[in-house]
Order: sequence, then C-alpha cells, then structure tokens
Amino acid sequence: MPSSISGGRGGESPLGLKNTLAGRDIISCRDLSREDAELVFSLAEEVNSGTIHLEDTLAGKKVALIFVEPSTRTFQSFYVAARSLGAEVLSIHDPAVSSIAKGETLYDTVKMIEGYGADCIVLRHPARGSARFAAEAAAVPVINAGSGSQEHPTQALLDVFTIKSRLGQVDGVKIGMLGDLRYSRTIPSLCYLLAKYNGVKIFFMAPPLLQVRREVELYLAEKGVTYRKAVEADEIKEMMPELDVLYVTRIQKERFPDPTEYERVRGSYVVDAKLLAYGRRDLGVMHPLPRVDELSPEVDKLPNAWYFEQARNGLPIRKALLHLVLGGAG
Amino acid sequence: MSGESLLVRKIDWGTVLDHIPAWKADQVIKLLNLESLKQNPDVSVIVLHNVPSKKLGRKDIVKLYHYMVSEDEAEILALVLPQITINYIRDWKVEKHSPGLPEKIVGKIRCPETTCITNVEREPATPRYIVMKEHGVIACEYCDTLLEIERIPDFLVG
Ligand SMILES: [Zn+2]
Repeated sequence: MPSSISGGRGGESPLGLKNTLAGRDIISCRDLSREDAELVFSLAEEVNSGTIHLEDTLAGKKVALIFVEPSTRTFQSFYVAARSLGAEVLSIHDPAVSSIAKGETLYDTVKMIEGYGADCIVLRHPARGSARFAAEAAAVPVINAGSGSQEHPTQALLDVFTIKSRLGQVDGVKIGMLGDLRYSRTIPSLCYLLAKYNGVKIFFMAPPLLQVRREVELYLAEKGVTYRKAVEADEIKEMMPELDVLYVTRIQKERFPDPTEYERVRGSYVVDAKLLAYGRRDLGVMHPLPRVDELSPEVDKLPNAWYFEQARNGLPIRKALLHLVLGGAG
Repeated sequence: MSGESLLVRKIDWGTVLDHIPAWKADQVIKLLNLESLKQNPDVSVIVLHNVPSKKLGRKDIVKLYHYMVSEDEAEILALVLPQITINYIRDWKVEKHSPGLPEKIVGKIRCPETTCITNVEREPATPRYIVMKEHGVIACEYCDTLLEIERIPDFLVG
C-alpha cells in the first residue's frame, strides 16, 4: 500500500494498527510493552522504506524541545523529525542564554512552555527523574530525550529497531554491553526494552566501578532475563563467541576517582579488529555515538559496523514516535 | 525495680514507642518530624535512652504525651525499626498496635542519588518511594535509585 499517506488525520490508518501510544508519556522503557515498541518499529520501517510518508501529519501542532544539556545529535534528530512532520517547534536549547540559566526551575519552564501552547514536550535534562517530574507537571505528553544517567528511551527504541532490522528478530538475541554501564543512560533503557522479548541474554562487560546498576539487575531478574557479568579482559574474550551483538559505550575519565585506574581500565575496553577476532564473523557492533577512542576507526570499514545505520535509524524512529504520541493513526 | 518505673511515670493519653534500639530514639524523632510540634503547647515528648530491656539488653523509649502517631507514621517506623512496639494510650488503657508495611513513602527521606530531580535546589519535587520489602530496599519513583531499608535513617529529612 505505497504512496504518500498524510497519515492519521481523518481516521486514515497507515498500518491499520491500534495506536496504543496516543497521548502517552514516554518516560521509561519500563513503561513500554513489546506491542508499543513493535508499533513504533512498524511505522518507522514504512517510513524508512518510503512506503509511508508522514509529512504534515502534525501540521498545526507545536512540539516543544527543552534541552537543558548540550546534545546536538538528539536535538537535531527531534527537530528534523518534528519539522518534517509539519509541526511547529518551540525550542529552549542553549541553557546559557535561556531562562534556565537565570535560575528558572524545570517545573516553571514546563509550565511556561505549556502556556505557549505546546502539544508535546521533548526533554533532555541532567537530573535523573527529570522526565517523570516534568510529566507530572505537564498536561501534555512528555518524551524523555535523556534524563541524566537514568534513561534514554528513544535511543533504546532505535537500538532495538536496528537489531530487529539486522537479525530479523529480537527474541533470543545475545548481546554484550561493554564500557560504562553505570553512568550510561542508554544501557538501562536498552535492558528494559530487551526484557520485553523472549530468550534474550545479556553480557555486561565492565570494570566493577562501572558495572550495571542494581535496579537494572533487579528488573531483569524480575522479567526472567538471563544475564552475566564480565570484569577482566580474559572473561570478555571468553564471552565474545557467544554474541550476536556487541553494544559499546563511552568510558569517561571523570568517572574514576583515580586517573591511573582509568588508564588501566581504558585499554581493556577498546573495541578494535583484534577484539572482534574473538567474536563470530557476523557479530554486529553498535554504539550510541559520539565515540571517543573506545571504538577504533578500523572497525568502520568492517561489515560488523552497524553503528552508522543505527544512527540513521534515529530519525525514522523519532518521526514515528512523535506521530504516534501526538495521536496519529497507527 | 524496672528502668521504666525508675525514670518516668505513665501517661494517660498518647503514644508510647517501645523497644527502640538503644540510642536510636533520634531516628524516631526525625521520622515523625517531631520538631514541627514545637509550637504545640499540648504535646510533650519524653525520650529515654539506654533503658534496661529483657528483649534488647538496652533500649530507647519515646513517649508522646497527647500525640497519636498516624497509621502512615506507624508504618514507616515499623519499616525502619522492625523491633519497635507501638502502644496507643487512651485513659491509661494500653492498646498495642501492629502496623502493616507501607507500599509507598512520600517525603521524609532524601533520595541517596545526588543527581535526582528531588535533590535539585528549589525544584518542587517531593521524593516518593516504592517499598520493595522482598529485596530489602525502597526505590525512588523519580530516579529508580535503590536505598537499603537499614540505611534509611541516614537519609531522613530534617
Ligand atoms: Zn531519586
């Protein structure tokens, strides 16, 4: 059913699916069901392949982007998504020149932007819990675009979408997560979303200081997800042959109280051709980008590099999500 | 002669919090935010430290003259100090109260995560926790951070 559908308005239904996300806050991947995620994926897939265009489905709507933290990529991605759907964008981006720098609270910022007629708020904020707090303050849906080190649900949606596109399915995936699992906001979201699929196995590869947080472990245990932890380089190499996907995150120097410890750890968590040689030939490498030096440029040319495609999936996923949250047909 | 009769007479109306571990009475005072009662001329707080106890060896007792702890307050006390006994006194009659466990706690406890929105200055976000008794923790509803139940006294507000 190709051709351009100005999806949603007038009851048109691009996929013929029930929109379970209309009017909902997207705060945490804990709140998303497998069906919710699959709905976003189905629409994003159609957008990607060009069978459905969502142009102007949000005409007359206002999407507010409140970014209280520098984030060029995620901001751009939401900005372009909202604009290409025909929405007007209200943005508070640079905290240095905005009212936030003058000491305005998040609560007041949310109330103010609602007063300007925002139909939806996309929020990036350095505090954990900021998105849930904003959602309680706002009458309109709030989409979490990164809440400190807590979560980044739209990143997880595009990550799992990438896995699904590449492997054909998410059930049964064996995924290694390597690097800083403690302060990375993408890791909890990815774990919470993967937990909605069957037979997923997760390998956490990180130094003890940067291992996954306990609440993530409790959630996985509660959902019956199998996971293992590896700390030493040898253990990591041992796990490599089992993996379908290796998900790499940045290790930041400022997380270590002792700089020599950072130097020691850094070498063990670099992904290069040498480490990949321990894995299967078709192992996929993912990274939320931007990278520093944990992911060697020599991987870029290998078929294992999934991360550029992963980054490209950000736009269709955010288009689909904005369309659905703002009440477009599924 | 028992420690109690040695130290203080009975009260006719109020709450007696007994079997508080020795020198932990300040936790009770914080949990109940008793300082907020300082303008109230009717309420007196009697604190006994290091009283001999058959059960605990030594214990603290807090008597709240003309103050009945609420069900919510009783639940948090029982969560943080599982040994505590709560007795309501009405016209000298003692009625032992066994509170249930709270499912949620609102306010009272500071989130241990420094980057939590509830710790951001001036932000009107009241901390709120879900009690996960089976794991021995409470979880911040805003930032998901877990706090061991036995560490709650270190994070009491006030
Ligand atoms: Zn918190």
